[in-house]
Amino acid sequence: MTSSPPPQPPDRLERRVVAYWMIGDTLSVAVVAALAWFIGQPLLAKHWDAWSPAWELVLLGLCIGLAALALLAPPLAFARWRYGFLGDLLLMRYGILFVEERAVPVRRMQHVDLVRGPIERLFGLATLVVFTAGNEGSAFRVPGLSAARARELRDRIVEARGDGRI
Amino acid sequence: MTDASESAAPPPPVPPPAVAATTPATGANAPVLARGHLHPAILLLRLLDALREAVFPVVAGLVLQIWWLVGFGVVAFVLRLGYVIARYLTLEYMLTSDELRVREGLLERQERRIPLDRIQDLGFESSLLRRALGLTVVMVETASGRGVEARLDALSRADADHLREVLLAARAKKPAPAAPDADATAPAPPPLPEPEWLVHQSTGGELLMRGVTDLRLSAFALTGFAALQFADQIGFAAQLAGAAKSVRGWLGQFPPLTVALLLFGLLFLVMAFGVVTSTLGNLVTFHGFSLRLRGDVLQRRFGLLTTRQKTLPRERIQRVTIEQTWLRRLLGLCVLKADSAGGSRSDGQDTAGGWDVVVPLTRLPTGQHLLPALLPGIEHESFAWQRGSPRLILRTALQGVLLAAIAAPLLWLQADSPIAAAIALLLVPVWAVLGVLIYRNLGFAHGEHFLALQHGIIGRNRAFVPTAKVQAVVVRQGPIAQALGLADLTVYVAGGSPTRVPDLTLADARALAQAIAARAAVAAAAGW
Repeated sequence: MTSSPPPQPPDRLERRVVAYWMIGDTLSVAVVAALAWFIGQPLLAKHWDAWSPAWELVLLGLCIGLAALALLAPPLAFARWRYGFLGDLLLMRYGILFVEERAVPVRRMQHVDLVRGPIERLFGLATLVVFTAGNEGSAFRVPGLSAARARELRDRIVEARGDGRI
Repeated sequence: MTDASESAAPPPPVPPPAVAATTPATGANAPVLARGHLHPAILLLRLLDALREAVFPVVAGLVLQIWWLVGFGVVAFVLRLGYVIARYLTLEYMLTSDELRVREGLLERQERRIPLDRIQDLGFESSLLRRALGLTVVMVETASGRGVEARLDALSRADADHLREVLLAARAKKPAPAAPDADATAPAPPPLPEPEWLVHQSTGGELLMRGVTDLRLSAFALTGFAALQFADQIGFAAQLAGAAKSVRGWLGQFPPLTVALLLFGLLFLVMAFGVVTSTLGNLVTFHGFSLRLRGDVLQRRFGLLTTRQKTLPRERIQRVTIEQTWLRRLLGLCVLKADSAGGSRSDGQDTAGGWDVVVPLTRLPTGQHLLPALLPGIEHESFAWQRGSPRLILRTALQGVLLAAIAAPLLWLQADSPIAAAIALLLVPVWAVLGVLIYRNLGFAHGEHFLALQHGIIGRNRAFVPTAKVQAVVVRQGPIAQALGLADLTVYVAGGSPTRVPDLTLADARALAQAIAARAAVAAAAGW
């Protein structure tokens, strides 16, 4: 139909979110790697007959690979994240492996939440959570917004939305 | 002037006139339209329940001489009875013109308030025992996604009917909460009772066919397998093996042809048994199914042992599907189902008790003709059906290759022979054939007010979604799809699972998403 892709949503997330994601992901990878290395590996060595130093290398490789992902993925994800208002629609576009483009009519939104975890607060970030009716996939999140911007978006949505009738 | 009707009073034939409204009624002093408590017979039902649950530990304890088990059973029984009595004594429901309030609890008072315009379904259910006692269960459903928001376990039949009449009348009057000045002095005239149209009445033959075509062989095989596993676990297997050996010896006497015939006969018996049970089950569940329309509210009544009655306001319908399993498709039959706000059924699933079924079984042309009764306006819609992208066959073939690449080395390791790995390679053509079947059955159409989607591999499901109900639209691409330029389009509504149009070209998906989202936004702005 159209030969050129439709206009990208205009706004990007805050740059700080890259650091926030990196820290979060590295922590999780560290926990998983520690579990695998210090608990999983001795267990496997004891109970699995085919265990050999080669498998140890594989496990090590996996851990290193996960750590690399934790460092490389956030900047990529940040580059992909886009959101914005287009008329009455809130548009979002994100994802590396699984790319998603979402459009939510503002007047259909039931309510809007502003979520700030403790570490998010340290970074001065907030997540906007938009709820629509229905139970499956009914909450849409925009992470990594500055607190002021998130509040601005929320106020704008609350103003624009109708009575939330289904 | 408040009008409170106690549960003992006979229901008035006509809803009470609205309060002269110079100011709109607020929650605190809204007129009370109905009030009542649970029927005392619920105590008897709960006593039986508690007895039934206490029987096992008590009897087992007595037989096996484990005294603490007996004590435990008795204590649990007493506690349960206490809780039931407390609940009965404290539960009170009250229907005002604004909301339904259910209050209960002894230690922890709990009051649940449900605004009337959020109530979108009122269901009745009575089992055989309840009917004998003249009771029914009333289930209040809202669109909150939690399904049944409030459940009144036992109301007398008259109370339940009265509650529903009053609720429907109050909802019908809701659009004009602050009556115009002309009505300030005179009470508003009671609305005329709406005529009731019979949309569809299922015949016995249709229900019989539904049972016959309801082949759940997979479920049957699974239960058989589970039974065998269980027998294995409780040491039955040794005895079974001994019996099997003697049977095998006995069978060895016969020529192989007879043995084969015997086995086929056995299989046939098993299938026939499955068909008979499912037929009986369907006949009993859907006995006397009728679908009626009064005003803008659909009503279904069905059931033999457990009777069910469910209202469905048409404005709450989020999606209507015409479902055909492969057998029904062969015979030209279909089932109609409707998702309303707050449900979570997936396309193709059946909910327990058939709550989402709008027409249990009918011929396909009849089913299509019934659509305008469920989705008013669809008769004016002209659907231009489009196919998905043929690249989807390539995508499924690639998926097959990926699976084979993972499975082949695993199988080789397990079975230690290259033949097993070769079998894994068969996955590729199988997946390709699957892709062809999916492509041939895939179709979508989007008219001005409705989105239609058709999919299936050997069966076929057709879903119709009013674009005005769309809550969100998502275009999704997995890694393989990105490489091939394909995308999935998912449309979210307020009830039922999201409707997914798979494997469109990216440009098509984006254009469709834009069009649907734009229409949904317009509809939302127009206040539909």
